[in-house]
Amino acid sequence: MRKLILIARKEIKIALREKLIVSLGLLISLLLMVALYAGYLAYKQQKEAIIQTRAEKRQQWLEQGDKHPHIAAHYGTFAFKPKTIFSLFDFGLDTFTGTSVYLEAHHQHEFMFRPAQDHSSMIRFGELSAAMVLQVLLPLLIIFLAFASFTRERESGTLRLLISQGVSYRTLIWGKVLAYTIMITALLLPFLLGTSLLATSGVRSETISDVTVRALLLFLLYGIYLFLFISFSVWVSFRSSTGKNALLTLLTVWIFFTMLMPKTVANMSENFYKSPSMRVFKAQIQDDIANGMDGNTPRSARMAKLEKEYLDKYDIDSVQQLPFNFEGVSMQAGEEFSNSVYDHHLGNLRNIFSKQDRLASLSSLLNPYLIVQHLSMGLAGTDIHTSLHFEDEVEQYRRGLVKEMNNDMAQNSRYGEFYEYKAGSDLWRRIKDFSYRSPKALDILKNYKTELTSLLIWLTLVLILLSFPDRKTTRLL
Amino acid sequence: MSVTFKTIVQYEWRTFLRNRHLVLMLMVLFLFGVYAIYYGQSEINTQRETIEAIVDLEQEEFANYKASFAKERETLEQERTHDIASRPSFAWYRHGYHAILSPHDYAALSIGQRDLFRYYYRLTGMSLHYQLFENEIANPANLMAGNFDLSFVLIYLFPLLIIVFCYGLFSAERENGTLPLLLVQSVSIRNIILIRLAFYFVLIVSLALCISCIGLVTSGNPLDKKNLGPAIIWLSGVFLYCAFWFALMFLIISWRRSSAFNAMVAAGLWLLFLIVAPGILNIVVTSKYPLSSATLAGLTRRTGLENENDENESREVIMEFLAHQPKLKGSDSLIRNNTLAKAYAAFTSLKDINSKAEVDRYSQQVMNRNKWSGGYYWLSPAVNLQNIMAQVAETDLRTFLRFQEALTHFHESITDFYFQRLFWDKPIHLKDYSHLPSFKMQSDPLNKNNDWTGLVTMALSAAVVFFMGWVIMNKKMPL
Repeated sequence: MRKLILIARKEIKIALREKLIVSLGLLISLLLMVALYAGYLAYKQQKEAIIQTRAEKRQQWLEQGDKHPHIAAHYGTFAFKPKTIFSLFDFGLDTFTGTSVYLEAHHQHEFMFRPAQDHSSMIRFGELSAAMVLQVLLPLLIIFLAFASFTRERESGTLRLLISQGVSYRTLIWGKVLAYTIMITALLLPFLLGTSLLATSGVRSETISDVTVRALLLFLLYGIYLFLFISFSVWVSFRSSTGKNALLTLLTVWIFFTMLMPKTVANMSENFYKSPSMRVFKAQIQDDIANGMDGNTPRSARMAKLEKEYLDKYDIDSVQQLPFNFEGVSMQAGEEFSNSVYDHHLGNLRNIFSKQDRLASLSSLLNPYLIVQHLSMGLAGTDIHTSLHFEDEVEQYRRGLVKEMNNDMAQNSRYGEFYEYKAGSDLWRRIKDFSYRSPKALDILKNYKTELTSLLIWLTLVLILLSFPDRKTTRLL
Repeated sequence: MSVTFKTIVQYEWRTFLRNRHLVLMLMVLFLFGVYAIYYGQSEINTQRETIEAIVDLEQEEFANYKASFAKERETLEQERTHDIASRPSFAWYRHGYHAILSPHDYAALSIGQRDLFRYYYRLTGMSLHYQLFENEIANPANLMAGNFDLSFVLIYLFPLLIIVFCYGLFSAERENGTLPLLLVQSVSIRNIILIRLAFYFVLIVSLALCISCIGLVTSGNPLDKKNLGPAIIWLSGVFLYCAFWFALMFLIISWRRSSAFNAMVAAGLWLLFLIVAPGILNIVVTSKYPLSSATLAGLTRRTGLENENDENESREVIMEFLAHQPKLKGSDSLIRNNTLAKAYAAFTSLKDINSKAEVDRYSQQVMNRNKWSGGYYWLSPAVNLQNIMAQVAETDLRTFLRFQEALTHFHESITDFYFQRLFWDKPIHLKDYSHLPSFKMQSDPLNKNNDWTGLVTMALSAAVVFFMGWVIMNKKMPL
């Protein structure tokens, strides 16, 4: 144990002598601060704008005046994607997912306004977020710290001395890993303290209920990720004959993990599983609504069937005799039919997307960067699953709203009358304001079984590599 | 000099051929380039197919309308089609025109923002803002990952290749103990380094230009009038970008530090230019020019007249609209006919007129962002080159903003066409179908200037960096 600490101390001393590494470390903590601050600004701006607009739209809905419920269902309202508190740490997909949607009867509108559309093509280089600093930049610092950890000793001949003193490779390796772990922790300490203070001070976030759990899981995740990188770098240095070789190997791996592979996988998934164009997607839905899913039950046939059902059920000859307005019922039936058509087509589309994403998930088995990228977004609530969950909730809300309007129409208006009946603010108030709560962190993590498994595999692999240094390497003495 | 030059080049060529890693790397990069060209072309071809399908749909729609004039109308269905074809009160919101931003031939090489923005719209005479904001289907995860197109290979990967080839040009000699041998030669160490750099420069630039040429030739005819300028700018950009990185390597070498140090500095600078600089610019521009699309969302609401039965309300709406339309002046005498259709047309047009200021403010803010960040492209040659390539391939933000502007004009000509007939109570005749409104988009003279400014900036930064290297190289004594 003492040996371990001794080795670690020596390693830290040497590293602190390197001006390049110290300045890079300072630079990275500066970037981390800048990224967090900018993330905070963007979070605040967006949050305020959304709260304000949301209140406006709510008021418009409540004060829309007296009108027929179906007109109100077309007047509709809007839903806005809230920013999660963690989005200031990891922007995730927020830049590329739509932010607002119009909710009205008969139509499932698509989400509009992807924030990236308000940027020049420079946005495709990525935005500097704290998560990016930790995922991409910090590994580079680790590489610079650790690439020479063994090769330096080897090139200067001190490795022989150390071994002849009875220090085992295992102790040496762990000593060095310990040293770098301490240094990286020290670098991140202010940041760590700051966030844990924030997380425990009971930050209340409207959308995320389990801030503390998520924060802890994020710590754990990044801890493991950085440890993986440290251990891997030390191990490469241990196996390399010269520092130059170790550095080149590590840099190549870094580029491959963080730049080449994510892009290639995404592009290939796009080639394998083609998504339809919006025009075709919408046209298919319209076609199925008009002609039925089987292609030969047009709307008129469906309506006739519904009418007959009701006539039989109530044992009457015309729908006018019903104790409620049949038009409200048929309207709702039409709505439910178009919903089921939409669900079918959306299901197909999401299936394509999830196949595409599946490929990226599977590649995380080969690439720890993808593991941390996916899990971090998931925990920050800026990932695809939270996004889809939000879209589903919005759609449920829309359906509830339209149904309430149709029911009111059925109960309170008379057959064949349209402009004669007007509902008022009592009905509008019965529709609650839309508010979104994201699923619990543990539920979100269920979508990331592959990533969690590969994290475990990587961790085990690295621990084995470090604990059982290959004897053959002695020839590198 | 010429003999030594020849000797050095010959020696370099031999060592290069013997170093399997380097040869392999060049080959791998070449394959990456070929894959990137293939990928870009397949993406753009998908878009072309979508466009073709859409054009077909539109032609079919209008062919139906035209056919309805010729035939004897027997069924109810035919009668309905003919109504839509000939009566402006139906036609103005039923006839759909496509505005299409066809991809430039070289969009395949630099996909830019083309996967993010819509490149086709179906417009009817209804409120423009109701039709403008729908997105194209895309997987956000893939949008974030970005495209593996040729511009990516050239911008991200070529600098890495340059770094790998050059970081040890001087230091390796010292580390292998061959430096003293070089120093006793009659030719100065600076010239040796320069000649060796020049050797790799020619090698790598040839590869970059060669891949670019393959891309340019297979994506479109570079001699074509609309392609020639872009092709020249593309090749010059690639040349200057490589020159910049070689100059940078020269500067790093001139410090005469160890190979590992050089590799670290070079990797750090690569990270600075490709990740950190654009990453910071992006977050600064976001908070400096905040934009909330939430306010625009409200424009898409489908609203109508408060009370369709109220003749006075319809009348008021129509009169308010006509006050904005000098061409329709006097048509209020016909207000009694077809009032409801006219009131609806007036209503949605008024909506556009009233929300125009808000939409314009938003686009202006986007422009401001674009302009501001444009002022800092010189900070990173990578951002600079990416921008040049996107401009050349017409996949940049400006092109899409111009497209939106052209859409507005197109929408105006559509409403003009139908409203002239709707408000003057004139039917649509078969002969009117020969001069339907069509979509036009002016070319942008400003883009070309931007390209040249970008190229000059890159040349200047390459020159400055090279000069710095030259000065330091001369100042430092060998060893």
